[in-house]
Amino acid sequence: MLLFALRRAGLACAIIFCAIALLFGMIYLVPGDPASVALGPLATPEIKAAFRVRMGLDRPVIMQFLIFLGHVFTGDLGIDLFSNRRVTEIVFEAMPYTVALTACGIGWAIGLGIPLGCWSAIRRNTWLDRITGVLAVAAIAVPSFVVALYALLLFAVELNWFPAIGAGTRGDLGDQLAHLVLPSFAIGLGWVGYLARLVRASMLEVLGENHIRTARAYGLPERRIVFRYALRLAVLPTVALLGVGIGHLLSGAVFAEIVFARPGAGKLVFDAVVTRNFPVVSGAVLVTTALFTLCTLAADLLIAWLDPRVRADL
Amino acid sequence: MPSEARPSALRRLLADPLGRFGLALVLVILITAIFAGAIAPYSPSAIAIPDRLQAPSFAHLFGTDQLGRDVFSRVVLGARIALEVALVAIALALAAGGALGLAAGYGPRWLDSILVLVFDTIRSFPTIMFALALVTLIGPSLETVIVIVVATFAPGYGRIVRAQTQALKHAEFILAERSLGAGAARILAVHVVPNIVGPLFILASMDIPVVITIEAGLSFLGFGVRPPTPSWGTVLNDGYAFIGNTPWIIVAGGLPLVLSTLGFTFLGEALRDAIDPRLRKEI
Amino acid sequence: MHRLHLTRRDFIGGSTGLWVAAALAPRAAQAQGTSVLRVRSYSDIQDFDPAFSKAAPDGDVARCVFRQLITYKSSASWEWRLDAAEKIDQVDPKTVAFTLKPGIKWTNGFGEMTAEDVKFSFERVADPAVKSPYKGDWATLDHVEVTGPLSGVIHLKEPFAPLWLSTLPWTAGTILCKKAMEASGNRFTTSPPAMCGAYLLKEWRPKQETVLVRNPDYNGPRPAYDEIRIHPIEDEKTAEIGFGAKELDFTGTSVSSLPKLMKDPPAGSKVEVHPSLAYVWLGMNVDVPPFNDIRLRKAVQKAVDVEAILQAAYFGAADRATGIIAPGLLGHRDIKAPPRDLAGAKKLMAEAGKSGGGVKATLAILNKTERLTAAQVIQANFAEFGIEVQIDAHDSGTFWSLGDQSKGDQWKQLHMILQRYTMAPDPSWAVAWFLPSQIGIWNWERWNSTEFDQLNTKALVETDTKKRGEMYVRMQDLMEESGAYVFLTHEVAGVMYRDTVAPALMPDGRVILPGFAPKA
Repeated sequence: MLLFALRRAGLACAIIFCAIALLFGMIYLVPGDPASVALGPLATPEIKAAFRVRMGLDRPVIMQFLIFLGHVFTGDLGIDLFSNRRVTEIVFEAMPYTVALTACGIGWAIGLGIPLGCWSAIRRNTWLDRITGVLAVAAIAVPSFVVALYALLLFAVELNWFPAIGAGTRGDLGDQLAHLVLPSFAIGLGWVGYLARLVRASMLEVLGENHIRTARAYGLPERRIVFRYALRLAVLPTVALLGVGIGHLLSGAVFAEIVFARPGAGKLVFDAVVTRNFPVVSGAVLVTTALFTLCTLAADLLIAWLDPRVRADL
Repeated sequence: MPSEARPSALRRLLADPLGRFGLALVLVILITAIFAGAIAPYSPSAIAIPDRLQAPSFAHLFGTDQLGRDVFSRVVLGARIALEVALVAIALALAAGGALGLAAGYGPRWLDSILVLVFDTIRSFPTIMFALALVTLIGPSLETVIVIVVATFAPGYGRIVRAQTQALKHAEFILAERSLGAGAARILAVHVVPNIVGPLFILASMDIPVVITIEAGLSFLGFGVRPPTPSWGTVLNDGYAFIGNTPWIIVAGGLPLVLSTLGFTFLGEALRDAIDPRLRKEI
Repeated sequence: MHRLHLTRRDFIGGSTGLWVAAALAPRAAQAQGTSVLRVRSYSDIQDFDPAFSKAAPDGDVARCVFRQLITYKSSASWEWRLDAAEKIDQVDPKTVAFTLKPGIKWTNGFGEMTAEDVKFSFERVADPAVKSPYKGDWATLDHVEVTGPLSGVIHLKEPFAPLWLSTLPWTAGTILCKKAMEASGNRFTTSPPAMCGAYLLKEWRPKQETVLVRNPDYNGPRPAYDEIRIHPIEDEKTAEIGFGAKELDFTGTSVSSLPKLMKDPPAGSKVEVHPSLAYVWLGMNVDVPPFNDIRLRKAVQKAVDVEAILQAAYFGAADRATGIIAPGLLGHRDIKAPPRDLAGAKKLMAEAGKSGGGVKATLAILNKTERLTAAQVIQANFAEFGIEVQIDAHDSGTFWSLGDQSKGDQWKQLHMILQRYTMAPDPSWAVAWFLPSQIGIWNWERWNSTEFDQLNTKALVETDTKKRGEMYVRMQDLMEESGAYVFLTHEVAGVMYRDTVAPALMPDGRVILPGFAPKA
């Protein structure tokens, strides 16, 4: 197990390294400059040249990449081109919001998806099961920005149940949770559908197996069978899905962050990319890639621990 | 004891109500896509500003958009675009991911490690940055969307094919063939690929709607196809921008997305169950 | 053991608790006795150092925390009033004498504002070593002479007509504290070392809000609100929704929402339309085919259906422009725009030998909704007289470098561009980008006119307002004659605010935050 963990961790580091290398390659190739974006016609050629120097773009790409890596090990992710603040500060300011949003999205997924899936499995092939199935797939289909918009219009404006914009007052946990409800629902709804289908499928499989039939034959109550035995085994693919899904949730967060005007890493990367604020892009991509890799690593380790057959390959 | 054979796969598929439902939806979408030109009452780019942003009526089944274009016609043409992009992109992703996955699963250990690294690096890379780089370098178009989709799906398919290949690699009949001197290419082509292809196609078919959703997301972020191309993502995005004026455009854009997802997902699952229920465990 | 039920009930119970808490939480701080104004800005502050100010929201905050000799009045036309200056006079065309009001206190113990601060601030912007993008506003500054602790004289090398309209009351006329700046490296982005305005920057939570509080030492007209909270919300739709959910007191609106909002404003609020200083035009690259042929350019000028574009993209809320200088400003070109002439366009195409079709051109736009709509109308118009248009929508990163020659050869693929610039109220800001010296920098049409250049130089120093206005009109005539420009519109700026707020706005709808007051 330890060897497996070490190999996976090594792979994780290699992935982060390659992702940043790929990013630097793109920065080099992609047209556009931040001075023009920020100042428009006020950007004179001298100002544009000054920005290039500040971004280090006048140096060869390999040099830029190595300098960046060197700085990363000292915890310095660079300086934001426009506000002169440290990128480390900017990224770690934004990350908690996206992590909270993603966590709540997963919360919705688990809170609604698992019970729905379970329930569908118990009542398989009834009309209720089929309707739940259709709704679950429909939930996956609707793009998150559409869900966000409608949630906003219905719950925030019409009904006034939840706040519409922003992340809430700092230090006021209740307010921040209130601001999380709708955006996390928007990004989590698709996952409710996925988990519902997945849990249903896993449970059906497990419920058909021999040891379950034996338990039934012995007269154990159905409820006990479902919860003690079936549900536990259904959790495994759920963990796998979530591990993979976290990365998608992180990038899906950008839609909710735009529509609800929330701060967060998704919007940070998007804004930085569009304004060519490359120090912020590099720093943010590094952190989000690291986070994503860590999550998949954790998920893989968890699965390997639960199911030893997986350990044979990486 | 009845001596009839097991009911055919098709029969089993049609016996499942959700399978029937899925098949019906997919057929509707296919027919719409193939006969789009005949079905659409107007040209999707015919501008008529005085008729702008109208609610659905007999003249315009889904209403009109911000330029007075008939939304129904745009959605119908969009079906063709959606299927073209989805099929091409997924086919390419399968080919690329599949080939690399075979190499990774069957080839030497070092090749496997490198390919897994490539797969996971691409998977962990933020799509937005990748989309932006592509759009600025090769321009916004359906081709760009296809490349983005291929890059998004190929690593996933590669991983699956790799896992299947590795499992088969140690199967007895493969070992037997190898001891008889069969080359890697022959083994792969004759034994490995046919065993993998079935489940992989079914999985891929359920990804078709995901491709369309990706296109919609790209459109929302401003990296969509060139106007006036009537992709569903563009219609959705227009609907979002003009939600204050009329809710109908976003419904018209979202509905085919939901229906195609329902169709392909249920059809795919019913196919999988019909062909071989054991596959449920693997995919 | 009903784990299922437990999960569901727990969840529902939890969320109920949440929304009750949210409903009870005081949304407006009225409950605590402080009057708070909640305003939306279209982007977050980045850098409001006046020499480097980036976007309008930066300028809005600077106007709250700093003072100027003169500043804009809240009125329907561009007029100024005294701010930090007690007296200011144009002694002669090259000299302006000013006297500061006494008792303007800087924060952080830096004493009171003196003429040294004025000298420092203006010369800083003009100093080439500082590399300020606003250097041009002080282009003719010779030096500022300090004649007393509170009095000074601005000496210009040549007369400078824009001084009163766009230098002194705009960004480049902001006064900073010399001692404080020198003590902190002569540069700040979002934490000024010393402030003296009606409000002080209390807190900046990036991408969430900027909080300004009343400055207790301010000796000007007392601002009505105790606190101003600025929320950066890029998406206009979100801003309108936030206003509808009563989380904002003032916001700008998107053009497409204006007709609906004007007809049916949200309960308890007002919607207004203001003319904008911006100018939107369709430009053609005169150095590469197909538009290096003036006949094709003139055909385009005849064939573009500007009225249709305005209807489609601006819902009829914006008027057609006859030039780049908006109505109400000096230099506005007051002519009647010719109607669409499709037949004439086809004739010109035939003369150029292109009536067989096959002419392809690209149209570059920024990927905003109005531009996309306008571009698609243009695409349809062009199809009617034989030019096939490909629309290239770019994100802002790429767009703003398209015509930049220093970036390589991509300017050669730029055939047409749908462009929008804004300006300060002086006409010199409008024409500056179309000079021959800007070819390959910001003159992406690459139009080279010596007469235009000469007129620009003369108009900068012309003190007779009428003559100056005529020069700018002639410059716009030249732009039209070149065929490289189709003037579209000056757009409009929509604003929406609560009945309980009396806003203070510049003629184009921009906020003068210290002037906002609650209305009973």
